Amino acid sequence: MEKSRAVMSGKQKAVMAVIWLLMLILAILTIFPVVYIVLGSFKSNVELLVGGSNIFPTEWHFENYVQAWTGAKFATYTWNSIVISVCVMLISLFISTMAGYVFSRSRFPGKNLIYGVFIAFMFINVGSVSIRPLYELATALHLNESLLPIILISVGTGQATYIFLSRGFVDSVPRELDEAAKIDGCTFFQTFIRIILPVLKPVMGTIALLSFRQGWNEYIMPLVFTMARDNLRPLTVGVNMLKATGGGAAAWNVMFAGASIAVVPMLIIYIIFNKNFMSGSTAGAVKG
Amino acid sequence: MQNKATKIIKKEDKKDRIAAILMLSPVVILLLVCSIYPFLWMFRYVCYDYNGFTATFTGARNFTRMIHDTTFWTSVGHTFEYALYKLVFIIPLALVCAVLLNQKIKGTSVFRAVYFMPTVISSSISGMIFTFIFATQNGILNGILMALGMDAPVQWLTSPDHVMSAVTVLAVWGGFGNYMLYFITGMNVISEDVYEAAKIDGANGIQTFFKITLPMLSPILKVVLMLAITGAFKDYEAIMVLTQGGPGNRSMVMFLYIYNMIFGSGLTNMTQPQIGYGALLSVVAAIIVGIVTIAYQRIARKLDNVM
Repeated sequence: MEKSRAVMSGKQKAVMAVIWLLMLILAILTIFPVVYIVLGSFKSNVELLVGGSNIFPTEWHFENYVQAWTGAKFATYTWNSIVISVCVMLISLFISTMAGYVFSRSRFPGKNLIYGVFIAFMFINVGSVSIRPLYELATALHLNESLLPIILISVGTGQATYIFLSRGFVDSVPRELDEAAKIDGCTFFQTFIRIILPVLKPVMGTIALLSFRQGWNEYIMPLVFTMARDNLRPLTVGVNMLKATGGGAAAWNVMFAGASIAVVPMLIIYIIFNKNFMSGSTAGAVKG
Repeated sequence: MQNKATKIIKKEDKKDRIAAILMLSPVVILLLVCSIYPFLWMFRYVCYDYNGFTATFTGARNFTRMIHDTTFWTSVGHTFEYALYKLVFIIPLALVCAVLLNQKIKGTSVFRAVYFMPTVISSSISGMIFTFIFATQNGILNGILMALGMDAPVQWLTSPDHVMSAVTVLAVWGGFGNYMLYFITGMNVISEDVYEAAKIDGANGIQTFFKITLPMLSPILKVVLMLAITGAFKDYEAIMVLTQGGPGNRSMVMFLYIYNMIFGSGLTNMTQPQIGYGALLSVVAAIIVGIVTIAYQRIARKLDNVM
């Protein structure tokens, strides 16, 4: 590194500086919408409705958040979002690592066929039509008064990628480990809990992040399920409903605060784990 | 003695198999309920008029309606248009970013993290954020443009001439970091030696890009293009929030139109859902995506033979 910098000519340095500047501009453009919404959430509604080119608020109105939190039910929405994403994460972690282990280690007739169906449905996408029968099913089972169907459907639609990731990882674990455990008297399930799960930690981290994000960001499916149930809405639905029902002279300050509440927690998680997020996203897509 | 031992092993095997099936059952049940059942359900109503409560058999009426449904076919056209705009901007931008971030420049990891950031935000929320940015009267974009000396505010979301540019900006913002990352992963496979050799031969940066990086990336490029094309055809969540398909259906894409059929359009004053018709359109949409995928793979293979 030091060496290559030493050989750099003046012209090369200038080119590098231009490239760096362009990348900085792109970075500012990328980050701008988020900064705009977060800073805007402290503006007064009047200031937001007048508009202009000012990014910083002239006066800081922290009460926008109080208004969103209590007046616009954002406390409930936030709670629902947390419940949905944490449950989606935990269930996905548990069932997809188990399935990955079984697909990798067990032998029974039809295994490859089942695996093939999983992979096939990763590619078959019929859009929103698939939510309709699930909604009718949940209503018939009287499950639509809770967050349960939203959680289970989110798990069900995301699980294929996670199973795929776990299977790939278990495949790379030497079989001698399981065999040693078997000789020591572990059953198939005990081998999974005691031997495989501890080794799976890196891929579990990836699955945890991806499934948490999936649960947190889910929109159309919970929108359909909570159409008539305000108190079950997650943040994504709540904040968009506020916008739809508010009309023209809506409370922009509350909507900005709401959007910030929906975005900032995810961003904090991203800042902490950004390397894992990036490696996880490519692993899922490139292999899938 | 030996017989007894094999018996024990067999018993163990049977136990293990039952354990395996039990451990697999949650994902299989979810697959059956969440993927296979809706897929089959869709075909059940293709020939019905169904509003969510009563279903009546209408024979081929849905089909003839589809043939004459100009709104649907324009929405299919808009889907192609949207996919084209998105790809034309997102792929080169992602590729250039990946190449530049692969250089030894200070701060590459920060830039990479920033470019990838939009992909962790829900597309419904980014759609909403951009409705504020693109608002005609009090949006920040027009605010900045006016401050820079523009005379009249641009109707980004309410004029048929501009709405597709707004939709494209949102799509590119939300997705280029993802494709950039695929390219970076692909580039890590290209060995340093090849670059060293090119350097020794006196190749400059642009020559290296076209003669080494691009050809060696072509397998990755093919996969990424595939993902980008199918992804673009399925996008509708962000558009639904940003424009609701308006103004005058100018930004209506296929899957948004289908959503409106199946659940009724509008968030607050809903129209009556037409589920049977929507189911038929879903089948057709899936076929369209399938045809595009196959066509793309054919073309990619042909290009391979030429090169």
